[in-house]
Amino acid sequence: MEASTLIILLMIIPLFAGVFMACFPSKHIPQAFYETVHFLSVLAVALLAVYLVVIVMTSGNAVMALGNWFRLDSLGSIFVALIGVVGFLTGWYSLSYIRHDVAEGKMTPGQVKRYYVFFNLFIFTMLLAALSNNIIMMWASIEATTLATVFLVGAYDTKTALEAAWKYIIVCTCGVAFGLYGTVLVYANAAAVMPDPTQAVFWTELLPNASSFDAMLIQIAFVFAAVGFGTKAGLFPMHTWLPDAHSEAPSPVSGLLSGVLLKCAILVVIRFYILAIQTIGTFFPQLIMLILGIASIVVAVFGVFSQDDIKRKLAYSSCENIGVVALCLGFGGPLGIAAALLHCILHGITKSFLFCLSGNLLMKYGTRDLRKIRGVIQVAPATAVLFIIGLLAISAFPPFAMFVSEVLAFISGVVTGYLWVVIIMGIVLTVVIAAFVRVATGSILSKPSEDSKLEKKDVGPAALIPEIIMACVVIWFGVAMPQPIISGVEEATSIVMQVDDTEEMYDTPLFEDIFGHSGGSSTDEIRQ
Amino acid sequence: MDGYTIVNILGALLIISSLLVVLLHGLRRTAIIYGIQAFILVCIFVTLGFTTSSTELFTWAGTAFITKVILVPGVMLFAYSRLLKLGKPPEEPPASIRPMTAIILAAVELLICFAAVWGINLPTAEAVRPALAISLAHFFIGLTCIVSQRNIFKQIFGYCLMENGSHLTLALLAPTAPELVEIGVATDAIFAVVIMAFLAYRIYKTTKSLDSDDLKELKG
Repeated sequence: MEASTLIILLMIIPLFAGVFMACFPSKHIPQAFYETVHFLSVLAVALLAVYLVVIVMTSGNAVMALGNWFRLDSLGSIFVALIGVVGFLTGWYSLSYIRHDVAEGKMTPGQVKRYYVFFNLFIFTMLLAALSNNIIMMWASIEATTLATVFLVGAYDTKTALEAAWKYIIVCTCGVAFGLYGTVLVYANAAAVMPDPTQAVFWTELLPNASSFDAMLIQIAFVFAAVGFGTKAGLFPMHTWLPDAHSEAPSPVSGLLSGVLLKCAILVVIRFYILAIQTIGTFFPQLIMLILGIASIVVAVFGVFSQDDIKRKLAYSSCENIGVVALCLGFGGPLGIAAALLHCILHGITKSFLFCLSGNLLMKYGTRDLRKIRGVIQVAPATAVLFIIGLLAISAFPPFAMFVSEVLAFISGVVTGYLWVVIIMGIVLTVVIAAFVRVATGSILSKPSEDSKLEKKDVGPAALIPEIIMACVVIWFGVAMPQPIISGVEEATSIVMQVDDTEEMYDTPLFEDIFGHSGGSSTDEIRQ
Repeated sequence: MDGYTIVNILGALLIISSLLVVLLHGLRRTAIIYGIQAFILVCIFVTLGFTTSSTELFTWAGTAFITKVILVPGVMLFAYSRLLKLGKPPEEPPASIRPMTAIILAAVELLICFAAVWGINLPTAEAVRPALAISLAHFFIGLTCIVSQRNIFKQIFGYCLMENGSHLTLALLAPTAPELVEIGVATDAIFAVVIMAFLAYRIYKTTKSLDSDDLKELKG
């Protein structure tokens, strides 16, 4: 089958699985039916996504589908792979998590069905966002991710879950309305200056014409797009929905929201960032990203430190890490861009891993309150060991994956002359380390409280296996980053930098030392 | 009077009607005023269609009429009737800012938008600058509505106003945009309204309140 057909198939699988499950009544159909359809769907998406990404990476050519409407290039590949892999692992973990919720009486058969239906629709909408080449479609798909996930956030039907769902939908639809406005401005400008206005909606057609756009209009449009899609990514000042939604959603969904959805929104911001740079140069877009990045990091770290709710703590940490991604885009240059993209991948895996582990704690202790979670090492030893790995990894200690991208972020800041920002970032990030050390010592490694009647038994292997796989990936990527990922990031960086050959980026200090032997090819064909 | 003058006058009417959507108390009344407001938007599309000879704009006017004039107020009125079935009429919380403050805020937004729009050098923008500034201001009035209203149903109208603002900008700057673009935007927006109205209904069913100030359990 041709790659372009496979792209369509990739999107159809989760859409079909979701609609198919929705057609069945929840009362008379056993839960195992929904679980099977769901599992097969997320597995197929993962396999197909990885296969397609390998095709794009090895051939060096972008794959188009349905005319110009969908496109998988090296930049999109990073995010499609993330959706496939993390979607599968969190989807797999969902099986035992939801079964536990049913056994506890927290979910009815109707809610279970709704969960699996919307989980698949969620994956579909994220794929749509990552694969879309039509800028209006990009907006529509980001909006659709909100609509698909609002019932996952409110899955438990409790007052706080509904409150979180309401804040989520109001803040995100309004934020993304800013994104729509920015998109409309870009489109209107392009339609006025391009010889064929019908092509003005396609990102690949906009790029070669971007230098003739109106500078003032593109400045306004970029601010709207950065703030709008930045809302969905969890960037300051519209990040307020994130801790509520992530803490109230079922844990595997929190993992998918934090690990992947935020990155899909960042991808759309990056697409607009590339366009804006072609029109108005690097100064303005980088300045905006720098401001959003610093503000997000500074505001979020205090949330990470002060929260006693483990999932809210992790959610604030996601704001902080998205801030790091924005900051790297603000630093600019090949190293900054590469650091941003790498951080998207590595934080995506690490954070979904930690959210799944927070699910283990919820299953075991029935609470998210860290003051009540004591002595995990004795109650659930495997979860505790994994949690320690996760906490060290999210604090960016070596030899774990995020160490690589954060060090790259620091280096890129120094190389581009933002030493003072790097110093502030370094100081602020120590607060995060302190916060997670407190979790490790206070909850994981401490003694169980004396009145604790918890049975000393870990969660089942069905929950632990996907988490062990994630732990292995987090260590593997930290110790020996796979070559295809390095070359993929290098090629994606060349798309953001809009250079024809990856070697053109080797003038930047250290870039060749890090990426130079990755075998990144000429990206002339990829761009067009 | 040429077409663009009519568009600019209708734009002024649009601002007044959207202010009414923000200021008026009572969901039923707000839904009806929103319908009228959306109808003015449709009139702008039709006038622009005649002025620019763009056939696409007539299709836009058609879809906008169905989605904005009929469906959105319809969905909101239906949701309201469902609320009434749950017991006594829901108590509608007041806005968190005074009407005068809202009007002053809207005026300031309008001024800023006029200043921003005058900096744009685009051939299609020349004749419709006032309307363009109004469309941008319309977007921000919608945002003001969301921020200043405690009634969760009113907040949905705020989103609709924001969306109408972007829609009008699109029509003014790119009157020949393919129908598919416009239909995509309109459909997505109506889905959002349906889901928000459904969620607001469920919130009222659980908490017996339409006040967003009552949704403050999650903090920090």
